[in-house]
Amino acid sequence: MQRDGTQSSTTIDLDLDPQPNGGQKGGRRRGTTHKSQQTRLAILFLIPALAVYLAFMVYPFFSTVYLSLTNWNGVAEAKDFVGFSNYGKMFGDGDVLKAFANNVIWVVLGTVVPVVIGLVLSILIWSGVRGSLFFRTIFFLPFVLPLVVVGLVWQWIYHPLYGVVNKALDGVGLDGVSRAWLGEPGTALYAVLIAAIWATFGFVVMILLAALQNVDMSTVEAATIDGANWFQRTWHIILPQIAPVLTMVTSITLVGGFSVFDIIFVMTSGGPGTSSEVLATYTYRAAFNQNLAGYGSALAMLITLLSFVAAVSFVFLRERQR
Amino acid sequence: MAYRLFGTFTKYLVLGVFALLVLYPLLLIVSTSLKDPLDVTADPFTLFSSFNPINFLDAWTLGGFAGFFWNTVIITGLTLAGVVAFSVLAGYALARFSFPGKNVVFLAFILGLMIPFFSVMIPLFYELKALNLLGTKAAVILPAMAGVTGFGIPLGVFLMRSFFLDLPEDLADAARVDGCGELGVFWRVMLPLSAPGVAVLAVLTFFQTWNVFILPLLYMPGSENQTLATGLYLFASGRTAETELAAAGSLIMVLPVVIFFLIFQRQFVKGLTAGAFK
Repeated sequence: MQRDGTQSSTTIDLDLDPQPNGGQKGGRRRGTTHKSQQTRLAILFLIPALAVYLAFMVYPFFSTVYLSLTNWNGVAEAKDFVGFSNYGKMFGDGDVLKAFANNVIWVVLGTVVPVVIGLVLSILIWSGVRGSLFFRTIFFLPFVLPLVVVGLVWQWIYHPLYGVVNKALDGVGLDGVSRAWLGEPGTALYAVLIAAIWATFGFVVMILLAALQNVDMSTVEAATIDGANWFQRTWHIILPQIAPVLTMVTSITLVGGFSVFDIIFVMTSGGPGTSSEVLATYTYRAAFNQNLAGYGSALAMLITLLSFVAAVSFVFLRERQR
Repeated sequence: MAYRLFGTFTKYLVLGVFALLVLYPLLLIVSTSLKDPLDVTADPFTLFSSFNPINFLDAWTLGGFAGFFWNTVIITGLTLAGVVAFSVLAGYALARFSFPGKNVVFLAFILGLMIPFFSVMIPLFYELKALNLLGTKAAVILPAMAGVTGFGIPLGVFLMRSFFLDLPEDLADAARVDGCGELGVFWRVMLPLSAPGVAVLAVLTFFQTWNVFILPLLYMPGSENQTLATGLYLFASGRTAETELAAAGSLIMVLPVVIFFLIFQRQFVKGLTAGAFK
């Protein structure tokens, strides 16, 4: 869709000169002037966006790379260059290993479960139901809610005394099972994960429904006539047709999983102890509670690297399977 | 569509169960926000056991949610205006002008979509501090515009560029023949046509900015500029937090989101799928 160079070079420009005081007077009819006018306007148009983007995104990104190679404490004038020792330190840091392990659990379950739920629900809706608009809207609603609110309401659901989970368990005589779901090391991470899955599966439903609109119905009907059962139809006919979108939605969830912060911070702050700590919450603590700006930056680079590797390797694996 | 995959009963059972799972937490917020304080101490989470709408007034005034609300409105409004204005300009330049280095600039913006927040979080804090912006609304607006927590200018440039690329060149040529300069083509012809693209970008930016938590948490610590996200978090985790007021505050935060979502669902879905399918 390149539309450059399609402008007629003989166009006579009678309108505003964007830089009335600039040179080039008298040469307005020439194509080169047209080009240079475009260049000048382009610069003007790009400056505001570029300025904000460079100052608050690009510059801090490269600063992180630099800071990760120093032992800066956030206060001192001097930023001592320490090479890769922050990165070395991470591998000996038990909390980092714990956070990494939790992150892996989070990424795997937090990707697989919403994608499977989303796949089932979107195919159900697509196969024709009454009130499809209702279901679609309801399922998608949690995705637009602020995670602070999601975290708060799930804290109530998990409330040790009054929460519906424990009440329901007590009600059916399983009071031995009920517990402080967010307060016990063994369950905290999974309890938060369920809240996060609640908040994200609707995104998968929505994206997959859009993809399913493009599935060729005649192939599905043909398979039905040939005697394929519902599983065979889904697996062999429908899934291959939405595979690219499925890959895309999976990698989006995958990448997000390494940056998860809000919902964990709100619900458990990584606790109790480090039982629900992930790399992002640990980076936050290192950088802002312990003032380890250098070490925190190295951790931040680790998050960046992991999300990148996860996305690339997933897409790569998918491509190779074809 | 007469395509039958599962039995009808199973189908509605599965969909119904998930609809209930989604609806219960939402009802819980509404129910708790309407509880009588006495009822809350006895049994906070039984659905709709009392009706005390005065909670909203208390949250608004005593809870401080009025301040949080207006701060959020201002921050969201300014971020939205900035993202839309700057993205329209930059997207237009990248779609419709020819100039050297064009592809490099576009690529630079697109890379921003892949940078996680944590890889800018720490230096950004010290940068805002050095600029004396820490604690001010600009400490959230500027990073949000730059897209550090997703969307923002990188997504805006991407969306607006592809939108302007799809507009027919004939329109611009016709305007040029009628005597419009490049600025006139942009202002009088292309900009009015960009409304649908702008709507998509504005809707996405609204949700993102209204909900954002980590930016005000980090860059407006202890200030009077708290947004609904951090205000609610601090209120709910405070020692004397009244659950019914926290619920009312949650609803104050959620209601605009839900209303906007129901009105602009199409633009929202379009924006997300456009970002996702390309």
